[in-house]
Amino acid sequence: MSNTNRALNRILLALAGLVLLAAGAVTAAAGLVPDIAAAWTATGTFLADQARAALGSAPLPGRPGSWWSVAAVAVFLIAAALSVAWLASQGGGRTPRLARDDDGDRGATTIDAGLIGTAVGEALDGNRLVVGSNVSAWENRRGTGLRLRLEARKGASPRELADTAEELVRGIDALIGHPVPVLVRITTGVRSRVAGADRAR
Amino acid sequence: MNQSQATRRILRRETHSSRATVSAVTAILLAVLFLWLALETVLGLLGEPALLAAPGQLWRWLTGLPQATIPAGLAAAGAGVALLGLALLLTALAGGRRSRRALESDRTAVVVDDEVIAAAVSRRARLAAGLTPGQVTSTVSSRSVTVQVRPTSGVPADRDAIHAAVDGELAAYRLDRRLAPSVRILKEGVLGQ
Repeated sequence: MSNTNRALNRILLALAGLVLLAAGAVTAAAGLVPDIAAAWTATGTFLADQARAALGSAPLPGRPGSWWSVAAVAVFLIAAALSVAWLASQGGGRTPRLARDDDGDRGATTIDAGLIGTAVGEALDGNRLVVGSNVSAWENRRGTGLRLRLEARKGASPRELADTAEELVRGIDALIGHPVPVLVRITTGVRSRVAGADRAR
Repeated sequence: MNQSQATRRILRRETHSSRATVSAVTAILLAVLFLWLALETVLGLLGEPALLAAPGQLWRWLTGLPQATIPAGLAAAGAGVALLGLALLLTALAGGRRSRRALESDRTAVVVDDEVIAAAVSRRARLAAGLTPGQVTSTVSSRSVTVQVRPTSGVPADRDAIHAAVDGELAAYRLDRRLAPSVRILKEGVLGQ
């Protein structure tokens, strides 16, 4: 339920892939075709000459170096900052607070996800199908939602687990007073493997 | 299934990969590359010795690469880089479905791991055929479930009965997309069950 920008991830990964693909293809072609290798070197030398001329055209006052080098540093730093921003855009959105109700000047009521977690844990105590549970709240532009994870006992029916979860969600609705979006995740985990199978009845 | 748009969105996001890991690794590598280039340029401006290679040196090395390397090595390196690029491109374009699926529900979005379905199907098949836990293994793929049964030696397993039991069980789960069961009875049985 995290707020990862998936479209951005795919666009940037596709761009990075295309750049690497093109660079690799040119390198491989330079290894296979002597003409391309010659063109590679000629282009490199030409660009180096151009760069030298450009660097000489805007010298720093009173010291060696060029304004173009300063501009290059700025461009590299901006590119690095954008990369870090991309890294920072992964995940996020988890919040301890599930709901908040302002009562004007009489105060405000907030409900923590921990409260729901404890309530769910107690409701599932001794449940035959579930060996563990976990509740977390996630926030995005559309509002706050609840993620309810149930660790299934080995062999437990997903339908029965889903029905159990739906019952739990009805209880949560009653507890909070208004319905919130809920994602139920039925998973296996370490405890599923250790706790033994759901026996025939 | 008449689900709200928000629920459909949650289900879609939960059953498909966000590409966060690949993105994070790529972003870190890019950030390191750009920071290093910036640092080398600054060191060059200050007249300090380069960390690994000054920008001019780097460019000369790149320009002379076809002459300095044996062609086969250059071609192999290029192919390697191109393959890496292709892998990234495929990561960006592929569906990225995870091994979990949605269950119908009136109130919530329910997503269940394929492993849980496999364990439940195995259990159902085992009960239908009267076998012990180790004798049935199930594998869930995107559209089908393969149930592999190792019968008790001398006691033939009823393939149709197991198939019917598993099919009924899967139908009862009300998955968002039907899973077709296929039952395989192994030739070799187990002794003394």
